[in-house]
Amino acid sequence: MKLYNAKVECAAPAVVLDDMILTKDLPTTAGSRMLSGYMSLFDAEVISRLAKAGYAVRGKAAVGEFGVDLMGESSVSGAIYKDGALVSAAHEIVLSGEVKAAICLDVNGSVRRASAQSGLVSVKPTYGTVSRFGTIPAACSGECVSVVAASAAECREVLSVINGHDDKDGTSLSEQTCRSALEAGKAPTRVAIIGDFLDGISADVKEKLDLAAASFERSGAVVETISAPELSAARAAWNILMSAETCNNVSRYDGVKFGYRSESFMGLDELYTKSRSEAFGALLKSVIIYGSETLSTENYMKVYDKALRVRRVIVEKLSKIFESYDLVLTPATSEMKYTKEAIEACPDMAFTENLYTAPASISGFPAVVAGGVMLMGGTFSEGKLLTAAELIEGEGR
Amino acid sequence: MDRELLRRLEMLNQLSLTEEEKVSVIGFFERRGADSEVLSGIETSEVERMVHVLPVMTVVREDVVSHPFSRDELQRGAPETDEGYWCVPRVIE
Repeated sequence: MKLYNAKVECAAPAVVLDDMILTKDLPTTAGSRMLSGYMSLFDAEVISRLAKAGYAVRGKAAVGEFGVDLMGESSVSGAIYKDGALVSAAHEIVLSGEVKAAICLDVNGSVRRASAQSGLVSVKPTYGTVSRFGTIPAACSGECVSVVAASAAECREVLSVINGHDDKDGTSLSEQTCRSALEAGKAPTRVAIIGDFLDGISADVKEKLDLAAASFERSGAVVETISAPELSAARAAWNILMSAETCNNVSRYDGVKFGYRSESFMGLDELYTKSRSEAFGALLKSVIIYGSETLSTENYMKVYDKALRVRRVIVEKLSKIFESYDLVLTPATSEMKYTKEAIEACPDMAFTENLYTAPASISGFPAVVAGGVMLMGGTFSEGKLLTAAELIEGEGR
Repeated sequence: MDRELLRRLEMLNQLSLTEEEKVSVIGFFERRGADSEVLSGIETSEVERMVHVLPVMTVVREDVVSHPFSRDELQRGAPETDEGYWCVPRVIE
């Protein structure tokens, strides 16, 4: 079981980074043969902030190829199974107690799914409040640097270190706006459960939701089930936008200036084609081809442009919900474990299982996973979501 | 998705798929077909597109000449170099 792609001895407190985050002194692979052994010339901004606060980097955790998969199963180093269930390398390292937290790039919800299934806590902050400078780009309009830890308090502590404006990131918000997202606030008084997400979940996921809802009610909150069918369309729109953006972002890998190059080729075209074909995995190839088709002349307006408009519908619907409720309680996964057999039967399961994670990915709204379930709030509410998570974090264990 | 379209997309993306991968990609497209149907069910004729969820600014730097990395550093990860140049197959006969 290979959890680390690179590891060093260091003093506590330490963090582990997933392999989508560039490090100057350790290789960064993005889980792809294309970047096997790749050494960055600089550190990501989050590493500089962590170092200033006294955190050491313990190593790099294996990750699925460019972060688009379920939970690391498409990594060039292979899927990791524990007791028959797929697990995430970064989450296993946090569970081992070797590090205080994991810093991961959440591209397609893998970080949140793994948090729900492992019983850990994670926070995907509001888009633009944590710098993405020095992360390997895949789906830039929605991916966020996230924190995974054993408790909401530890998530808050590490998030407060990496949160903040960065001049080097064009999507970074002002310092004042970023810091406002850390306000702890009060416990929630009104909680909504999205009824449209309850049909396909297993009994044990339903049990986790019921436990979380009961915890909120015991703390005095009103919990109501509401209907929001528009949110189910977030998955379809995000699959299109994510694939199109990933297709564009990985077009830079051609075997010329850096990365993998095929050993045999005749001419420049064959160098490009053989290098990319030999280095990329099957799921990423599907994403590239699907993404390019959504951007074609025939499909641009019908598919890609439509997905951009649906993104606004989702954002407006969520904003409306957050006028009446402090947070939304949803599943993060349909099952509490993914078996090897299920993944082999459907290698692109990530593109259906992201039903629950896509609304936060496509809208940029924050999400916190605790107690095996997910909490979503309005922009800059991650501090409040972590306060709410403290009420339920013990329920998922 | 048919084989001819797939061949064109492979070429555009500089990929050459194995037969097994072709089957996998076609299956991926079939499963995503439902995504397009879901989207077409949502009325968006009066809705503006949303490319970025929050305002985006163009990052600029001071207009001064600088060399943050040397040529050697930039070529450290290159598959093949020769006297400071990246090597590629001959493109002009």
